[in-house]
Amino acid sequence: MWRLNKVRHKAGQQGGSLEELRLKRRENERALRQARRDRQLVSKRLLLNEDEEQPDVSMDTAPGGHDIVSLLHKLQHSGTEKEAHLKALSKVLRDPAAQLTFIKHENSMHLLVGLLTGSNAQCRLQAVRCLHELSHSSHTNVAPACLPATPYLLTYLSGPSTKFTELCLYTLGNMCPDSDVVREKLLAQGIIPALASCIENQRHTLAVVEAAAFTLSQLLQARDAPEKIIPIVLKSTLPSHLLSVLTPDPQFGLAPAIECAWCLHYLICSTDDNKELLAQGALSQCSSLLVSLGGAVTEGNKEDGIELLIWPLLRCVGNILSSCPEEDLNAQLTDAHLPASLCALVQAYLHTLPALARETVWVLNNLTAHSTEFCSALLTLNLVPGLIQLLPFSQGINTMILRILANIAHKKKVFCVQLMQLGLLSALCATLKMADQEMVIQSLDILFMMTVSSPVVAEEFVRQDGLSLLEVLQYNGAAEMRQRSTYLLEKHLLSYQQHITVDNMPDP
Amino acid sequence: MLQPEALQLRTEGRDEQQERRLSESEEGNNPFSFTPQIIRLHKDHELFEDGDIHRHMYLQDLYISEAEDKPALSVSEFACHISGCSGVFSALEEYEHHYNALHRHVCCSCRRSLPSARLLDIHIQEWHDSLFTILAQKQDMYQCLVEGCGQTFRTNKHRKDHLIRIHKYPPDFRFDKTKKERGKEQKDAAMEVVDDVCESEGVCEVMCNSPSDEPEGGESMETHECEEKATTEDVLAAAQDTESTAPRKPQYSYRIPNTVCFGHGSVRGFRGRRGRRK
Repeated sequence: MWRLNKVRHKAGQQGGSLEELRLKRRENERALRQARRDRQLVSKRLLLNEDEEQPDVSMDTAPGGHDIVSLLHKLQHSGTEKEAHLKALSKVLRDPAAQLTFIKHENSMHLLVGLLTGSNAQCRLQAVRCLHELSHSSHTNVAPACLPATPYLLTYLSGPSTKFTELCLYTLGNMCPDSDVVREKLLAQGIIPALASCIENQRHTLAVVEAAAFTLSQLLQARDAPEKIIPIVLKSTLPSHLLSVLTPDPQFGLAPAIECAWCLHYLICSTDDNKELLAQGALSQCSSLLVSLGGAVTEGNKEDGIELLIWPLLRCVGNILSSCPEEDLNAQLTDAHLPASLCALVQAYLHTLPALARETVWVLNNLTAHSTEFCSALLTLNLVPGLIQLLPFSQGINTMILRILANIAHKKKVFCVQLMQLGLLSALCATLKMADQEMVIQSLDILFMMTVSSPVVAEEFVRQDGLSLLEVLQYNGAAEMRQRSTYLLEKHLLSYQQHITVDNMPDP
Repeated sequence: MLQPEALQLRTEGRDEQQERRLSESEEGNNPFSFTPQIIRLHKDHELFEDGDIHRHMYLQDLYISEAEDKPALSVSEFACHISGCSGVFSALEEYEHHYNALHRHVCCSCRRSLPSARLLDIHIQEWHDSLFTILAQKQDMYQCLVEGCGQTFRTNKHRKDHLIRIHKYPPDFRFDKTKKERGKEQKDAAMEVVDDVCESEGVCEVMCNSPSDEPEGGESMETHECEEKATTEDVLAAAQDTESTAPRKPQYSYRIPNTVCFGHGSVRGFRGRRGRRK
């Protein structure tokens, strides 16, 4: 079970300086970004002992080599102290060098598996802890060495002990990313059905649910997941179980819902056709949850880590909308508050997490693209002025906002007039002056739709002195700008021209 | 149930737009191509990067509730889209100031940019109006540049003197350049205009060069314009070495025909002298 570490809080306790921690975090973040660019973004979780607060390698572990050998020797020959030796071993195995020594040692895994499956329950617990430490290794050849244990780990998933099951799950989850061979074996050994029944049977033990969903998320992120893993998962009962756990339990916290939401995101974005998930109510559930989270955020109830749940839900809704035919949209999306909640989320996170705001705006685009209802809702609920105010913000936000506004303008002439009344034309007079070419071209596109819709709009644009903006663009380097501005001027706006031309300048 | 009705409304609404647009595209050459689109993003899309990083920081126990360094929210810049001008501005007001200063009151004939409509009028009159030249031989035609003064003079030298004596223009402000330095002078003059548009001296310099100094030939005008529209720093740098200055490579390479001039409504050329605007 995870508590969100409040690093700042811990810093004082540990005596490490805040600045050091900040540097470490920044370094880690940089490494993660690079790993993502290399398509090798992998994380493992370490379940700490009850007496531990932070993973601490320094304690009483001497360089692992001798310890491993001697401990193994002791394990082989001792009788009643096996548990103590195993405990010591698990501490030693926190050290990466010791991990490598262990797997190189002949029979070490055999010994461990024997203890894992033995009659002594305490020994089993300590043995799985040893395996857990090994699974957390960053060396990719450690996990394959643990393969002999996996059939048993899978069997134990349906066992009664929460702690034990958790350890098994996180161990399996940590092993998944390390190699294709490991995943192949796990799939063959039935990891998917095992996870499904684990979540189903232990649905009320949220710590186990969280661990199982984590393990599933590790599988789903694999490179070969779309071909080898996701079809199997979609056929299983897992999707419906994930959906049923999606609403966070107020007492236990967000963690299990977070894991389930990320699983759903990986499932949805990896397949083009999400009809099955739609049928199971994925869209309605994710959107309802987004609405309630949006409400909480607006009220200032920003629970720690709430964005970790909002993020995958946004992606689920955004992507699954492409699988939802227009006619079914109303049936699937029962919560009419979604547009308003999305706009609220944008405002709430614009300055703290612009990337989240950007993804929210993306969802709004997908929502309004083919739906006159949702376009109309944005107008009636008076959400458009707020969107127009976001037009200064770059890096993907304003271009997406223009898309949304274009979606609205595209639907009905009367929408265009309403947009004009809400000040879109003067906003466009500003966006047409932006350096970003895409912004200018999109502005021209919207302008076209609006001027074509009604003479009232065209007149207003001329009145706001928009013609000079277009004239300038006629000679711009980019053909897309030249063509559009010329077309607009010649075909539609020339008749509204009222300013002085060379020919009719008055006498001095 | 509302459903069927709503469906009907929807198709009706779409029809009217579609109709209009269909007729547009039938005309051909319609460059507008926007259609609403649902955008699907795959797992590794760059838009998802920040969220994925947050997720993994959490998995690795590196999550903190408040970001230490607030990520900077970027604001779009503005750019002058006039061909040959490469001004970029961080605020709309800056853009407007630039545009008003350099592109609003532009002489169609020689492309010089003047700070106000009145000075543009005077410039056109004195530089490009042959009737003016004829009349000036017999009457006081040169107006004082200071608004409200109203005095007129027989020559531009008289006007210069008046500006210095009465209106306290600095006496040493390049008024004594000789004809030999004309080439340099003109470029400097243009730069003065660009550099410090609010100072009438610069304008006066433009005015006070005799109209016969006006550059001839279309090509040099193009060059002149490009230089004029360079940014202030480049202008100052170019002032050091004017003869060998090639105009800074314009951001947009699309050439504007001589017959076209920009500026908000106040752009004028001498009536009848230049061709029509497109």
